[in-house]
Order: sequence, then structure tokens, then C-alpha cells
Amino acid sequence: MIDVKDLKKDYIDEGETTSALRGVTFSINKGDFVSIMGPSGSGKSTLVQILSFLDRSTGGSYTFNGKKIDDMSDIELAHIRNKSIGFVFQSFNLLTRLTVYENVEIPLIYSDVPPSSRKKLIEDAVHAVGLDEKLYVETAKLSGGQKQRIAIARALVNDPDIIFADEPTGNLDSVSGAQVMSILDGLNHAGRTVILVTHETNTAEFADRIIRLRDGVIESDEPVKNPRHSKDEFFK
Amino acid sequence: MRISDLVKSSQATLRHGKMRSLLTMLGIVIGISSVIILMSIGQSAQDYILAQVQGLGSNLIIIIPGGTNNGKFSSPAAAQGIIVTSLVQQDVDALGRDPSISAVTEEARGQAEASFGDNSESVTFDSVPANFFTIRNFTVANGYPFTDNDVQSLNHVAVIGSSLASTLFGPGSNPVGQYIEVKNIQFRVVGVLAAKGTGAFGIDQDSLVLVPITVGQKQMLGINYFSDIEVQANDAYTVSFAQSRVETILEQDHNITDPAKDDFTIETQQDVLSLLGNITSILTLFLAAIASISLVVGGIGIMNIMLVSVIERTKEIGLRKSVGATNNDILQQFLVESVMLTFIGGIIGIALGGLVVGAAWLVITKIAGIAWTFAFPLSAVLIAVLVSSVTGIAFGIYPASQAARKSPIEALRYE
Repeated sequence: MIDVKDLKKDYIDEGETTSALRGVTFSINKGDFVSIMGPSGSGKSTLVQILSFLDRSTGGSYTFNGKKIDDMSDIELAHIRNKSIGFVFQSFNLLTRLTVYENVEIPLIYSDVPPSSRKKLIEDAVHAVGLDEKLYVETAKLSGGQKQRIAIARALVNDPDIIFADEPTGNLDSVSGAQVMSILDGLNHAGRTVILVTHETNTAEFADRIIRLRDGVIESDEPVKNPRHSKDEFFK
Repeated sequence: MRISDLVKSSQATLRHGKMRSLLTMLGIVIGISSVIILMSIGQSAQDYILAQVQGLGSNLIIIIPGGTNNGKFSSPAAAQGIIVTSLVQQDVDALGRDPSISAVTEEARGQAEASFGDNSESVTFDSVPANFFTIRNFTVANGYPFTDNDVQSLNHVAVIGSSLASTLFGPGSNPVGQYIEVKNIQFRVVGVLAAKGTGAFGIDQDSLVLVPITVGQKQMLGINYFSDIEVQANDAYTVSFAQSRVETILEQDHNITDPAKDDFTIETQQDVLSLLGNITSILTLFLAAIASISLVVGGIGIMNIMLVSVIERTKEIGLRKSVGATNNDILQQFLVESVMLTFIGGIIGIALGGLVVGAAWLVITKIAGIAWTFAFPLSAVLIAVLVSSVTGIAFGIYPASQAARKSPIEALRYE
């Protein structure tokens, strides 16, 4: 599904070049649950931004679902982000002036789904995170855990191939964090590819595999011996 | 992105910050309402002025003594206060014989003091034949106009203007049958004109004294020429033909072979109407142009707020791009918001302008008693809607393009 070879990313600031990625090579298959870990400045955020089509590499190659993305236009990348990618951010990134329904609707607006077909998709996505009763509540009135679950519903609504979760539990208490991880775990069990960026080992171990970065290169890429799988009721 | 989604999203954003949206629109509201008010008042003023000219009579051709050397609308000599004696009874008779002309009337004007008892007033006395009242739409509200018999018999009778009647005899009194003195001649007042206001040549018709042409020209002025001759064409379609006939007849009468040397000037109502129409249209446009400056100020206000909005919503832009919005989607979203602001502002401005114009109409007609028309030109409304929308695009495009250019990563990182 994802195939990167010798991926590089240089930032040039006032004539000075900083290498965030110095040649990264790995593959991720459909249905994998992969955690990316590393200290600050290791290049994990840069890697995920490139993998999720928010940024472009300055060297190497990236193939997604068999297509090389290096030569794709910004519009094509936006289209892939819309159809194939779901994002879950640490800070939720919900539009607090809108209701749950309207927030979850946003990706559908850009995929040209007619308004008449949206309601069912939105209800299904919100149902999947167990917040049916909050459908028409303004997101400003939700708790942190509920907000993150709505962010997951938004990531799911377009039925993406892959979900990128960037520190999804970073702003949550342990109970809410566990709920969110159990949802992501459930999604992976349902067949979706999940890529998790975290600095918490406990959270990272929900994945089947952990890629550790340091100074822009892969320090280790190993399977998790006993992945933590949720026994939570959310995705039964 | 569908238009319905763009509109829905913009509505939600504007509704969320109601007070800010209202304050942002204020500049456009003021600008559009100013344009509407000034264009409407300009149109009403134009209607009023043109109605005054049309009130002179129907299908009129006015002949003024003295030629013009410098083109159609330069002042004829008589209008500059120079005494020109070129129009005489022979001309009136010759014109009256032409089949393209249905009626001819003439005037000989002078200035004098009119008095009744201790009251006196400086007036213009106008010596006219009996048909003058019909041709020039002068209605006698009280009494009757003098007749051909009065003219032929050199009767000392007069018809006076309504405000002069009030000045000399006191408001509400009946001057008919009373005697006034003008130039040491006692005139019996036989009629009082209906109020008409200032007419052609800047003469206040409500202060006029109309006397028989025979009396005024011969006994009061002691002249044998006229201040002007007015002829009436058979109908509106033959005014141009009648005008050319008048020119030919007078040139023959005056032995003029070169039209450039005409010792008279012909003006039709159409000439005057079109000249005044042009002047008032230019004035209206000029006023609207001044008012539109406030639209530019309003537009800058919109741009300012939209730029602030782009900065405030940087993270939202990042989110929208991360879930698939293209640069064009973001550009359209912010552009629709600013156009919606100016469009709604334009609609409110039109309504406000309509209210002010209506209120002004009420005050002018009901309180001041002036025959003012309520003009709310559709063109002004269309221009207002168009200009407000274009303002939205013009002043929204820069903030919108700033929003569209944002990198999704930097936008998502923005705190």
C-alpha cells in the first residue's frame, strides 16, 4: 500500500539547509497497524506529513496504492487526501462553531457527495464512535474525549483506506485516551490501515509494528511482540 | 465544492459572528443607501424640472429675438438683456397662416410696480393675447381670463398670479373685481392664476400680471416689437417640421438668405427638455459618484475584516485542506463570504435608501407642498446590487487568495 524508498526531506531557511529525513525506506501493507515513534526533531512528523500527502519529499520515491505520487499535482493530492486518507489530530481540529453533524460533513463537501446522500454516511460514522445522541450538538459543548471521537468519525466518513493519527491521545485523560485507542484498534481489526504517531510506548504498542526514527533515519523497525488489543466494547 | 455548500458554509460563518458581520457591512450599507438616495433624489429633481418645462404648454416652439452666433445652446441676444426688435406683428400674422402651425401667441414683457391701496410689489407684467392662456396652459383658478374682445377694445383688465394676489390683497381674500395700479393705469382684476411656480426665463408665474397685448405693448411699453413669439405645432410628431417652417417663414419675412445671420432664435420644448435632462443626469451621476466613495471605504473595511478572518481561521484552512479542499475551494469559500457580506449589505442599503427617499417624498409633498415625484429608479437598484457584489469580489479576492495559498502543514501548526 505504502512504499517509500530513500525518502529525503530538506528544509532551506535563510540559505541554511536542514535535513529532516535523510533517506528512509520501508513499506506498509493494507490492514497494518504501524506506530511511528521518536524524540522531538527525529523527523516523525515530517515523515507522516509526506505519507499523508500534506507535504512533498525532496528526494527518494513514494508509491501509494501502486501510484507514484512525486509527480502528482496539488489537486490530485487533495483528491487522494479526501478519498483515501482520514486524519486524527492531537488537537482535534474541530470547528467549534459547527455541530457534530456539520463537522463530520466537511470531507463529504469536498468529495462532491450530494447533500441527500450525506445524512446516512454521517449518522453511520457518528454511530461508529458511539455518539449518536450528540449528532446535532455544537462541538464546543463536548468533552475532550468526545471531541476526539467526533474527529475519528470525520476521518471515517469518506471510508478511507488509511487513517493517520497524530498523537491522538496527547490531549486526553487516560480513560478518554483508552476509548480513542480502542476505536482505532477496532478500525484496524475491521481492515483499515492505521498509522499512529506517538511518543508514548504504551499507546504505540497497540500497533503490530513500531518504526523508530532518530535524526531523520530509521533507528529500528520491529514488530510488537504482544500488541495491546482493546477489550473495550466500542468496536465489538 | 457545490454552490449550495459554499452558501451554507458562508451563512454559518456570518451567523456565528453576527455583530461583526453587521458592523462589517455597515460601510456597504451606508455607501449603497447614499447612492440610492442621491440617484433617487436626482431622478425626482429631473422629473420635477422637466415637468415644469412641459408645463409651458404642448408642442411649443419658442422664438426669441436675436440670433446666436456660437451654436445651438449659447444665449440669444434677448436672453442676455439686449433689446432686439426683430419680432413684430407681421411675423405673428405670417406664422399664423402656415398650416403646420395650429396657434401663435406673443408676449411683450416689462417690469413695473403693482399696487393696491398701501400694498405694492415689483412685478413682471406680460402683455399677451387671449389665446395665450390656452397655449401656455395658464389656468385661471378664480374669475376668468380676458377675452379677444378685451384685447381688441383695449380694456384695462388684468389676470394676476396667486402669490401676488396674496401680497396685494391679503391671503384668502378675493381680488376679482378689485382695481390694481400698474404704471399709473388702473386695471380691473378679472382672474387669479392657479399656482404654477417659476417657469421659463426664470419668471415667477405666480407673481405675474397679465394684461391685454394691445394695452401692454402700446400703452405701457410704447413699443411695436415682442419679447418672444410662441407657436404651437399641430402635434408632437410635426414639431420638427413646424420648426423648419418657422425658420423659413421668418427668414423670408426678414429678408435673410444666410441662416447664420438669423435675427431670431428658435427653441423647442424638446431642446430645452433635452438640455435640462442632460444637465440633471450629469448632476445625478456626479452625486452618485461622490456617494460611491463611501462604497470604496466600505469595501476596504470588508477587506480588512476578511484578512483578520483569514488569520483567525488559519487552522480551519489547514483542516479543510487536510480533508481534501483544494486552493480553489478555499478561495471560493472566502470570496463567497465577502460577496455575501456586501450583497446583504447592498440589500439592506437599498431598503434603507428606499425608506429615506420615501420619507423625503412625504416631507416634500405633504409638508412643503411641492409636486415631487417618488422616484426609485430600477437602474439605481440594479447598479447598487451589481456594485456591492463587485465590491465583495474586488475587496475579497486578496484575503481569499491569501487563505488559498496557505500551506496545509503551516496552517495546521498555527496557534
